[in-house]
Amino acid sequence: MSHDPQQGLRVPHRVVVIGHGMVGARLADELSRRDADGALDVTVLGAEPYEPYNRVLLSDVVAGRTDVAAIGMPMVDDGRTRVLRGTAAVAVDRDARAVLADDGTRHPYDHLVLATGAAARLPDVPGLGTDPEALPAGVHALRTLDDAREVVAATVNAPRAVVVGGGVLGVEVALGLAGRGLPTTLVHGAGAPMDRQLDDQAGAVLRAGLEAAGVAVRTGVRPQEVLVVGGRAVGVRLDGATTEPGETLGAGLVVLACGTAPETSLARRSGLAVERGVVVGPDLASVTDARVFAVGDCAQPPEGSRGLVAEGWDQARRLAEHLVTLAARPRPEARVEGPREHLRLPGDGAGPSMAVRLGTLLSTRAPGARAGGVDARGTDVVKVKAGPLSVVAMGRCGSGRVPEPGERAVRLGDPAAGRFVEAVVAGGVLVGATCVGDARVAADLTAAYTRRTPVPADPAFLLLTPVMPAAEPASSPEHMPDDATVCRCNGVTKHDIAACVADGATTKDDVARATRATTGCGSCTEAVCGLVDWLSTARPAEEAAPGAMTTPARAS
Amino acid sequence: MTASGAAVATHCPYCALQCGMDLTLDVAAPGGRAALPVTVTPRQFPTNGGGLCQKGWTSATVLRAPDRLTTPLVRGADGVLVPASWDDALDLVAGRLSALAAEHGPEAVAVFGGGGLTNEKAYALGKFARTVLRTPFIDYNGRFCMSSAAAAGNRAFGLDRGLPFPVTDLAGADAILLLGSNVAETMPPFVQHLAGARAAGGLVVVDPRRSATARLVGPGEGVHLQPVPGTDLVVLLALLHVLVAERLVDREYVAGRTTGFDDVARSAAAWWPERAETVCGVPAEELRRVARLLAAASPSRGGRGAYVLTGRGVEQSAQGTATVTAAIDLALALGLGGRVGSGYGCLTGQGNGQGGREHGQKCDQLPGYRKIDDPAARAHVAGVWGVDPASLPGPGVPAVKLLTSLGTPGGPRALLVHGSNVVVSAPNADRVRERLAALDLLVVCDVVPSETALLADVVLPTTQWAEEEGTMTNLEGRVIRRRRAVDPPGDARSELWILAELAHRLGSGVAFPTDPAVVFDELARASAGGVADYSGLSHARLDAHHAAGGAGLYWPCPATPDLSGPARGIPAARPDRSPGEHPGTPRVFLDRFATPDGRARMVAVDHAGPSDDVRPDAPTYLVTGRVLQHYQSGAQTHRVPELERLVPEPYVELHPLLGLRVGVPDGGRARLVSARGVVEATARWTDAVRPDTVFMPFHWSGAGSVNRLTTDAVDPVSAMPEFKVCAVAVTPAVPDPAATAEHVETLEVLA
Repeated sequence: MSHDPQQGLRVPHRVVVIGHGMVGARLADELSRRDADGALDVTVLGAEPYEPYNRVLLSDVVAGRTDVAAIGMPMVDDGRTRVLRGTAAVAVDRDARAVLADDGTRHPYDHLVLATGAAARLPDVPGLGTDPEALPAGVHALRTLDDAREVVAATVNAPRAVVVGGGVLGVEVALGLAGRGLPTTLVHGAGAPMDRQLDDQAGAVLRAGLEAAGVAVRTGVRPQEVLVVGGRAVGVRLDGATTEPGETLGAGLVVLACGTAPETSLARRSGLAVERGVVVGPDLASVTDARVFAVGDCAQPPEGSRGLVAEGWDQARRLAEHLVTLAARPRPEARVEGPREHLRLPGDGAGPSMAVRLGTLLSTRAPGARAGGVDARGTDVVKVKAGPLSVVAMGRCGSGRVPEPGERAVRLGDPAAGRFVEAVVAGGVLVGATCVGDARVAADLTAAYTRRTPVPADPAFLLLTPVMPAAEPASSPEHMPDDATVCRCNGVTKHDIAACVADGATTKDDVARATRATTGCGSCTEAVCGLVDWLSTARPAEEAAPGAMTTPARAS
Repeated sequence: MTASGAAVATHCPYCALQCGMDLTLDVAAPGGRAALPVTVTPRQFPTNGGGLCQKGWTSATVLRAPDRLTTPLVRGADGVLVPASWDDALDLVAGRLSALAAEHGPEAVAVFGGGGLTNEKAYALGKFARTVLRTPFIDYNGRFCMSSAAAAGNRAFGLDRGLPFPVTDLAGADAILLLGSNVAETMPPFVQHLAGARAAGGLVVVDPRRSATARLVGPGEGVHLQPVPGTDLVVLLALLHVLVAERLVDREYVAGRTTGFDDVARSAAAWWPERAETVCGVPAEELRRVARLLAAASPSRGGRGAYVLTGRGVEQSAQGTATVTAAIDLALALGLGGRVGSGYGCLTGQGNGQGGREHGQKCDQLPGYRKIDDPAARAHVAGVWGVDPASLPGPGVPAVKLLTSLGTPGGPRALLVHGSNVVVSAPNADRVRERLAALDLLVVCDVVPSETALLADVVLPTTQWAEEEGTMTNLEGRVIRRRRAVDPPGDARSELWILAELAHRLGSGVAFPTDPAVVFDELARASAGGVADYSGLSHARLDAHHAAGGAGLYWPCPATPDLSGPARGIPAARPDRSPGEHPGTPRVFLDRFATPDGRARMVAVDHAGPSDDVRPDAPTYLVTGRVLQHYQSGAQTHRVPELERLVPEPYVELHPLLGLRVGVPDGGRARLVSARGVVEATARWTDAVRPDTVFMPFHWSGAGSVNRLTTDAVDPVSAMPEFKVCAVAVTPAVPDPAATAEHVETLEVLA
C-alpha cells in the first residue's frame, strides 16, 4: 500500500486563505484537524500583525471582563500550514490562480478562500474626515484589538463617553463603559435599542435595564456632527429630529458601533460577483468562480447572514469538510483536459451537480455525523454579553416578525421587574424567542430552540422556569408526611421512626439500631434527632417498657 | 457478641468505596426464617466513617440467594441447563475450547472480565488468556466504567489512580466540583466527605438532573448546574475561559508544573460564557460565579483547597476522554493537582474498578498497568510467568468491539465471561444478546443465574465476597484485604481453581496457583517496576498492617525504595520506615507528575456533542443512571427482598410538561424508542429532570432494560461507550403481547 504509485505522485491541493480573523483562523484549524495525511497545502494571509484573537470578546475587553491577553485563539501548529501575519493580499489573478501580497510575494492556489471579514461602518457625518483609518483622536470603531486597547486607554482620561449605535455591540460597549464608571450616553436612531432583534416592548425593558446600569439612552436621534477641536473629539451634536435642535453631548470618547460592511474590495477588484457580500452558493463557492470560496462576514450565502460568529464558524467547518473531500481526489492540474472546475452549479450539466449534492448533504446531515463544533441550527441566537443583564433573541423574533399561519406567540411583559419574554411556537417546536431580564428562562429557551425539542402543549409554560409545585421541606416534624423518607441511605420513613419510638426508642441510637437510619452518610442525623424529640414529647409512648425498646427490627 | 467467634474484618461486596464491615457468624437465627450465615455490622474505616448504605447492610442476603448457583450447569440437547459434575463441565469446556482453537486458531476464544473480581482473580484471568488460551481477545466491563478517566489521567499525569489522594482529604476543601456523579445514590457514605465543602458554600454539582446529590446543595451550600445532556465539556471549557479571562489562573503553578497551558487557554477563548450558554443551557453568569467560587477556594488565592471530581455521567460519552481532560485542565489551571488538600480525581465505580484496571484484564495491558506492546514489559511479565515473551499475544480490542465481533466471520466463536452481566450492562443490549447467540460456546462464571448466565452453554458456580480471600484496590488506590468468613455453598469454587483446572486440562505447563496469597505474591512480582507497583505488598504485610490499626496501603508500593526511582515521581521511603519496606503512597504527584519530565500535560480539547443527538423523530434526550437500592445489572440486589421491595421495577422519570405533551401521565406506562431498540416502563413525573430529558435507571433486563436503547458509539480514545446520552421518542405504551410472552419465557428458564 505504501508504494502505491498513485500515492507517490500525489501533489497536495494548494489552498490559500485570505484573512486570519476568527473565521479564517478557524478554517485553517479545521483544515489542519481533518487533513491528517497532508493532502492540502494551506497558506493563510493575515493583514493584522497579531496572532488570531477572539473579536467577539473586544467588548468584554472594553468592559474589563476579560484580560486582553486572554483572547488569543487557537493557532494552527501542524508544521505544514503557513500563516503569514502582517501580510495583506492586494490582488487575485484568477486566470493564473495566484494571490499577490503587499510584500510582493505570490501565492498560487487550487482553491482560494476569502475570509476578509467586515469593516466597521462609519456614519457619514462631518468631523470624522474621509479616511476611516485616520479618525480624530478619541473616536474609535471597535473592530480590532488596537481599537479595543485605545478605547480602554481613553476611559482613563475621558470625562464622558458617547456610543453611537444601539445594536448589540453598542449596547455591550455602553454597558461596559458605564461599568467602568464612565458617564456614558448611548445614541440610537431607532425608537429603542436593538430594534433589529427586539420589538418595542422588549426594547423598552432593555432600555430600562441600560438606564439602571447607568447608561443614558437617547433614541430616535442620529449624530449630526462629531465635534473635533485640535484633532481631538470633544463631543457629538445630535440631529435634533425629535428633540430640541442641535443638542450637543460633550464627550472625550466616541465609540462608533454603527454596524459593519462586508470587506469585499478585493473580491470586487477580482471580478467576483459581489452584492452586499461575495455572492456564494450553498457550497460557499463564488457563483463566478467555483475555485473561490467565501466564508464569514464577507460572504453572502443564499440563506443570508446575520454577522454572527457562529455562522462563520459553521461555514468554516463545512468548507473544511468539503475541501478535504476534494483533496482526496487527484489534483486538478494532474488532468490534462476536461472541465477546469470540480463544482458546477445546479442545472449546469447533465449529472447531479456537486453543489446540489453538497447542499443536500448539509441539510440532511444527521447531527451524529458532526466532526466538530456546534450544529448549524441555532447559529442565529443573539446573546448579548452584558454581564448580569440578560438579553437573548433567536429565530423568529422582534418587530420584524410577520406572524405566519399556525404560529403561536405567547409573551410575558413585566417591565417593572425588568422582564420580558416572548416564545414563538410552530409545529410543536420553538421557532423564535426573545428574553430580557431572566437568565434562567433565556438559557432554557435557547436549548429548546437550538435542539428543536418538544415544547409544552401550552407554550405559555415556556415563559417561566418550569417547576412542579412541591412542598418545601417540612419546617417541623409535625408537618412531615408519614411516608416521607428521612434516611435515604437506608430507606427509612417518618412512619418507621414513629413506629420505633412507639416501641420505646428514646434516642437516635435506639432508632439507628432498629432501622439503620443515620448509619449511611449521616446527613439525616439532625432530622432523626428532631423526630425522636418531637415524637417522644408530643406523642409520648404510653409507658414504654425500657427493656423492650432495642429489639432490632431486622432480626424479626 | 455471641460465642460464635471473633468478627471477620472485610469490606462491602459492592462499590469502590469498599466500606469497612465486620462479619459475625450467626449461630442461630430466631424464627423459622432461613438463616443468614453472617451478620453485617459497619466498621470504622476511612472511606465510610462507620456508615453503610442499605446495600451494604443487606449484603449477607446475597450469600444465601434462593437461586444461588451451587453446581455447574451444562445445557443439554433439549436446550435446558442441567446440573453436572465439575469434571464433566470442565472437560466439556476444555474439549470445546481445544477443538475451536485447533480449527480456527487461538483467536477463536475470547475472555470478558469484570471490575468486581479481586486483584488475584483479575490477574489470573489475564494470565490465563495470554498464556493458556494465547488469545489477544480479553477485555472487561471496566471499559464501561473507567476507561475514559483512565485514558485522560494517563495522558495528563502519566499514571491513573482514581483518587491520587485519600478520600478523607476532601473534608478540608472549600470547594468541590462534582461532575457526572450521583454519590448520594451510588456510594452514600461518601456524602460525609462533602460536608466541609457544603459548609463552606462550595459544593458544585453538575448534573442534568436534580439528583439526590444535587439536592445536597441546600441554600448557601453551593451550586447545582443543570446542563443539557452531553454538554458537560462546554461547561468546563467556559469555566476555563472565565479563569483565563479574569486572571484567576495559578500562573506560577502552571509555569512550574505543567505544559500545554497556552493551547488550552486559546481553545477556551472560543467558549466565552454567553456562547457556552447557548450550547449547554447554563446561564453565563452562573458559569462565571462557579469559576470565581473555585478560584477563591484554590490555594493560590488563599483558599483552603479545591477538588475537581468526575464520574460516569461525564465519562460514559463519545467525548468522555475529552471531558475528563477538560476537568483536569481546569484543575491544573487552578493549581490543584499534586498539592496536599487539592486535586483532581475520578470516582471509581465497581468494587475493584481500580485494581481491575491494573493487572492485565484490559486488552492492551499486562500486570502493573504495563503496555502489552512494550517489549520490556513483555519480557518482564513473561519471565514471571515462565513463558517465552514471543508467545504472548499482542493487543486485542476493547469491550464493545469485542462484543460486536462475537460469532461474526473471523470473530471469536467462544467467550468466557467472569463477573459480568453483559446482556444487561453493555450498550445496545439487543445486539449483544444476538452476538452471544451466534457463539459456538458461551461459558459464564457467576454466583447467581444472571441474565447472561442463563444464555450460557456452561455455567460455573463461583465463590463470592465473604467466601473468599483476596485483595481489592479501592477508589483511592488503597489495597485492602477481602477475608473469608463462611464456606461457599454447595460446589461453588473460586475462579482461581477453575482457571487452574482449565489450564491443566488444556495441557498448559504454566503454573496457576490457587492460594490467593500465593497468587498475590506472583502478581506483586509481575507488577514490580510497573506504574501500579504492588511489589512491596503481600497478604501477610496487609494483615499485619491491619492488626496494627492500619487501613490498607496505597500503591505504588515497591518492594524496595530503590525501585521507586525519583524519575517516576514516586517518593522514596521515609527514613522512619524500616529499610526495604516502602510505606505506600497515599498522595501521588506531590513532588512531580509521573510523566517523563515530571510535568502534567494540559491538552486542548473541543466540544462535538452527543453521537446520537436529538432529531425530529427522536426529539428527547435519554440519560441513564443508578438508584441507591440496586447495583449495576442488579444480579445481586434484585435477590435482596428488602431492596427489591423498595425499587421493584424500572421506571422513567420525565418532567410533567413533557408528560402532558406526549400524553404519558404520572404512573402511566411510557414507551421509549431509540434507533436501536424499544423499552417500556412506568412513568414518574418529576421536575428534577429537564423538560427536554428523560431518565431511566439501568439495573434491569427485559422490557425495561434501558441498555436496549443506549448507543454503542464509543469514545475515539478510550473506547468507552456513550451510555449516558442518546436520543429517544417518548410515547404512551400500548399493551404488547410480545413483551408478556418474553417475560414468561424468562421465568421458565429460571425455573
